[in-house]
Amino acid sequence: MTENRIFDLAVSPHVGSSKNTKKIMWDVVIALIPALIAAFWFFGPRALMLVAASVGAAVLTEWLCLKFMKRPVNFAFDGSAVVTGLLLAYNVPPGVPWWLPVIGSAFAIAVAKQAFGGLGHNIVNPALLGRAFLVASFPVLMTAGWIAPMQWKDGERIDVQACGVSTAQLSESGEFDALSGATPLNALKQTFTWEGEPERSEEVRSMLFSKESIKNLFMGRIGGCIGETSVIMLLLGAIYLVLRGVLELRLPLSYLGSVALFGWLFGGQGWLDGNPLFHLLAGGVILGGFFMVTDMVTTPVTKKGRIIFGVGAGLLTMVIRRWGGYPEGCSYSILLMNLCTPLIDRYTKPLSFGEVKKNG
Amino acid sequence: MSKVKSFAGGAHPSGNKDLSSGAAVVRLPAPEVVTVPLCQHLGAPSRPVVKPGDEVKRGSVIGEQNGFISLPTHSPVNGKVLRVENAPMPHMRSGPAVVIKTESEDGGEVYEPVPDWRNADISLIVNRIKEAGVCGMGGASFPTYVKLSPPEGVKIDTLIINGVECEPYLTADHRLMLERADDLITGMNILARVLGVTDPCIGIEVNKPDAIELLEKKGAKVIRLKVQYPQGAEKQLIDAAVGREVPAGGLPLNVGVVVQNVGTCVAVTEAVCKGMPCIRRITTVSGMGVNSPGNFNVCVGTPVSTLIDAAGGYKGDVRRLISGGPMMGMAMFTDAAPVTKGTSGILALVPAEVRDVVEGPCIRCGKCVDVCPLRLCASVIATASEYGKWEDAEKAGALNCMACGTCSYVCPAGRYLVHHIKRAQNEIRALARAREA
Repeated sequence: MTENRIFDLAVSPHVGSSKNTKKIMWDVVIALIPALIAAFWFFGPRALMLVAASVGAAVLTEWLCLKFMKRPVNFAFDGSAVVTGLLLAYNVPPGVPWWLPVIGSAFAIAVAKQAFGGLGHNIVNPALLGRAFLVASFPVLMTAGWIAPMQWKDGERIDVQACGVSTAQLSESGEFDALSGATPLNALKQTFTWEGEPERSEEVRSMLFSKESIKNLFMGRIGGCIGETSVIMLLLGAIYLVLRGVLELRLPLSYLGSVALFGWLFGGQGWLDGNPLFHLLAGGVILGGFFMVTDMVTTPVTKKGRIIFGVGAGLLTMVIRRWGGYPEGCSYSILLMNLCTPLIDRYTKPLSFGEVKKNG
Repeated sequence: MSKVKSFAGGAHPSGNKDLSSGAAVVRLPAPEVVTVPLCQHLGAPSRPVVKPGDEVKRGSVIGEQNGFISLPTHSPVNGKVLRVENAPMPHMRSGPAVVIKTESEDGGEVYEPVPDWRNADISLIVNRIKEAGVCGMGGASFPTYVKLSPPEGVKIDTLIINGVECEPYLTADHRLMLERADDLITGMNILARVLGVTDPCIGIEVNKPDAIELLEKKGAKVIRLKVQYPQGAEKQLIDAAVGREVPAGGLPLNVGVVVQNVGTCVAVTEAVCKGMPCIRRITTVSGMGVNSPGNFNVCVGTPVSTLIDAAGGYKGDVRRLISGGPMMGMAMFTDAAPVTKGTSGILALVPAEVRDVVEGPCIRCGKCVDVCPLRLCASVIATASEYGKWEDAEKAGALNCMACGTCSYVCPAGRYLVHHIKRAQNEIRALARAREA
């Protein structure tokens, strides 16, 4: 008779899927690479430099915080800090000095993430809080550091049409200011302020909503933050995430659908005359919709809750674009909805199997 | 061909069934010594009625029924009682057992077959199923006769036979459906007659097309089910097959349904038509940690080590030994433990098959919520449990969890969600008992 063997005990289940947090985070990093290539193409080597500075600062800050708090430092290399660093850099204008994303990333990791307990415990999206911190602290850099696409290659020759419409072109003087190539959303925002000049607003808007402008938005040949401009490259990344089973589509689809709906409802001068496609493609909606609205930690876990989150963020984005103080509302809308997440989760808890609704 | 049905939610763990699904059942002789547990069924253990030195016959009662939810236990062999002691068990650390020295394995004291079950008195049939010690052979081991004795006023209109076998690796039920199809259908019809059901059906996952074809050819009504874990969980099977939701905290009979495992049907046929008590079962031995995985017909009380030897012995670095399937089965600390009526499989898994991870922080991805077949928020219950907030865990539905393990399976953070939830269940029940006392 054979000798009886002794084995370790463990709780069931004894098998598990091969997906883990680290793989998910690195998948998101991979999905963000196409947009980085687009950033390099349109804004030149300085875009890469800013992204590298931001990612480096994020990982270093994470490592220092963990070391300081005597926690396992290998968390710094699980990819989540890299994602935060990338997203923060993608959300700053390409014309800012290198230290700006460094400060933003350090703030994002140290204050928005580690101060709340690290991975999984932060209340709001760290990259977006980092960006909000930068907008509040360095408003001029964050709202004027724009570079026209291809400027780094073509030197002085600025393709004005490519910017959608530049602020300067629309200014009273009619002079073009090469140093402040604006974003299409800046241009749209301005048209809302020309109350007495409906014809001029209409003309600019028809330019912004033109086929040519939409095409530029889609390819990324516009002014904007480093990683947000090229819709096609962001979509490539999103498709990768869907194929890898990382992306749950309720959040992005409800957000994009909501932006399109409310963009059409009140995204123009009056009612029902907005261009939903323009609102989807301009600014940070695609970047936010696939990479920030979908941040797992700060969004609801319930299926119904995710739809509420997406619709709410879309509505807030459009309200800020139309009536708020900033031309773009994507990041603040997501931050505000992040704060509602615990409440949404609580009120959308599904009725469990075989449970009967009380007083129903 | 009928439509493929399913429940909502669930996951798709890799089946690994081809390791053993092609292996015909091999009947193993009784080992020299059998350790027959007195706690093979759910409920109160049988009370031992033998003492060391007693001669026992195959089929003779060695432990008598001890309450309503309890069953008698029979000797699987002719032989001599060596000891009545606490022995290691596959599903708990140790439990009462009768250790018998085997002399032979034929004849013995089996029951008279019930003559003509189609017209026999129903109470006679139920009593036979009880005295033969038949319990659910799918793993939960609930006494079968109790399910056949619904309380006054409860009308049962549906009988579903569970041939789903959704646990990875396990193929015992699959082989049983192929090799014992006639006995299975007879057992199903006996149960249908007892319950007054006219139209019983068998639920089978579509990854067993040969079993579906065979049973349909023999005239059984088969419900095709999607390959999705946990399709074979009682409540999910009822939902998929007939679209009824068993109330939370309720039983299938609350919606007029009784579910019985395919192995139970064969055990019923053995008991009713042949007078044979429940002393043998079919068990899968599989995993990358054994040389030749297969399916075996063994006496209850056979040590697991004997089964492993029958499957060619251990291979490589066996990380874990499991009684049952890898999703809900119990890890065993020793292969000295015996096979019971509920042992659907013995798995020896190597490190590559086992998920052994350090628990990470929850990243709130919501995958556990997406897959839960009971629509619970596993992460919420588990977090409440970790912080000792038992009331919060109860409010979040901790007691409804059946520990199917789908949430833990998909969790990217490697959280031991089932463990946390089970702990909350224990604490909540203990608190309730303390309040009553």
